[in-house]
This record gives sequence, structure tokens and C-alpha cells, in this order.
Amino acid sequence: MSEFHITFKEPTPNRVLIADDDPVMTHLLTTILKQQQCQAVVANDGREAYRILQSDSRFRAAILDMSMPFLEGLDIIHYMRSERRLMRIPIMMITAEQNIKLMTDSFSAGATAFLPKPFTPEQLESAVRMLIGSQKSRRAN
Amino acid sequence: MLVEQAARLSDETSGPLTTATASITNDVLDVETLKAFEKVKSEDGSDFVIELIDLYLEGTPQRIQAIREAAFEKEWVLLKRTAHTIKGSSSTLGLHRVAQVCQELEVTSLSSNDAIDGLVQALESRFAEAREALIAERKRRLA
Repeated sequence: MSEFHITFKEPTPNRVLIADDDPVMTHLLTTILKQQQCQAVVANDGREAYRILQSDSRFRAAILDMSMPFLEGLDIIHYMRSERRLMRIPIMMITAEQNIKLMTDSFSAGATAFLPKPFTPEQLESAVRMLIGSQKSRRAN
Repeated sequence: MLVEQAARLSDETSGPLTTATASITNDVLDVETLKAFEKVKSEDGSDFVIELIDLYLEGTPQRIQAIREAAFEKEWVLLKRTAHTIKGSSSTLGLHRVAQVCQELEVTSLSSNDAIDGLVQALESRFAEAREALIAERKRRLA
């Protein structure tokens, strides 16, 4: 008697990890994400983001501040890109740094998008839309 | 493709904000920059701009205190990172004078520690101006 194996593809979670030590930014990002039917999971520094990612990989995307206490955004990208279960999660870096090298460093480390501060709500919304959409297109390919 | 989109976003950042900066009505608070956040709908239907103002006014004094202590203890890395955080939220809300002195603090903390005390004082006075402007804006919105 032959056996049938049916594999259900796990639905893309609507959760987005936000790592930023600035409450103004986390509130802004959380609200924008809610408008796009996404749930924000907030880490207030790099270490908290790392701890969350150690046990949880069900994220549609991650938005990381470059400069945070304990662990920098770049450290988190390196960790995510070295872990098989996290490496496909799109990452957007946000920073108030005006150094263009940080943008190239972020992309080299594996960031999907880079948004410098200050940004307008429209710029943030379109960046978030692009980020969330990028995982859909990756899965479709 | 994504890199191109991100680069475009980066270019766009200087566009609308430069326009907003050109139409500053108040040197301390760029109201046009702040007003742009009116489009964001808060969860309970309240004024989102007021929510941002409240969060900024609640958190920034503690961060300035942390900068003061870091200057005293000569903890330059902590000072630089805290100034960087204030710079990010200040520039986003249109408080360019606060953001500017934070930028100076970031740069100076790496090169010349002698000027730090003067810059910390400048930050305190610019935040006091910003606070006054934000409270006035808050009152205007609630009226």
C-alpha cells in the first residue's frame, strides 16, 4: 500500500521584528506596520533582538537600527545571515548616520534595504511595503 | 533591483525634506516636518503627532542626563551613541537645532573632548527651546 505525504507550506507570518532603542521610532514603526496588517515584535536594544532571534524565526521581515546598545544593527545582520533559519528574512537598516560607507557595509553584510533618518511617513511606508513584498517575491522564485 | 529601490529611497530623502526645510516657519521646530505625520493613523484614533511629541518629551530628558553623566565619566562611546539616538528622533520630528548639536557632540566626542561641556550645555538649552515649541504645538492641536 502506497503512502501519501502531503506537505503544507507554512504561511508567511505577518510579524516584523523591530530593533531600536528610541521609543519615538519604535512607536512610529509599530503604527506604520499595523496599517499594513503586520504585527510588530519590538526589541529595545541589539541584545534583546539577538535573544528573540535565537528562539524565534517566524518573521516576515526585520527592521534594525544601526546604532544600538550592546549589539549594533550590523552584528544582528551578520548573525541572521549566518543562521539557516533566519537567512531568508529581509532586513531593512535605518540610521541617522550620514556616512555613506554604512550603507555599503549594510548591503555587503546582507541587508535588503537601507533607510536614512530623517524620513517622511511616505518614505517609511514605501520602504516597509517594499521590504514585506520582497519576501513574497523571493518565495515565488 | 532592491538595491536600486533602496538607493532611490535614499535619494528621495533629501527631496521632500529639503523642501520642508526651506519652508521653516519656526527656527526651533519645523512644523511642516511634524505635520507630515498627521497622515499616520494612531490605533485609537487620537492625534498621532501628539503621541510622538509625548514620547519625545518623556524620553529625551533622561537621555540628556545620560549624556551629562557620560561626559563627567568620560565614557565617550556611550555619549556618542546617546547623542546619536537623540539626533535621530529630533531630526525626524523637525527639531533641527537639537539634531545639529547632537551631530556636533557625536563628532567632537571622537576628536576633542575639551569642547564637550560647552556642547552639552548647548544641547540642554536647545532642548529647552524645543520643549517649549513642542508644548505650544501640542496645545494648539488640542485646542
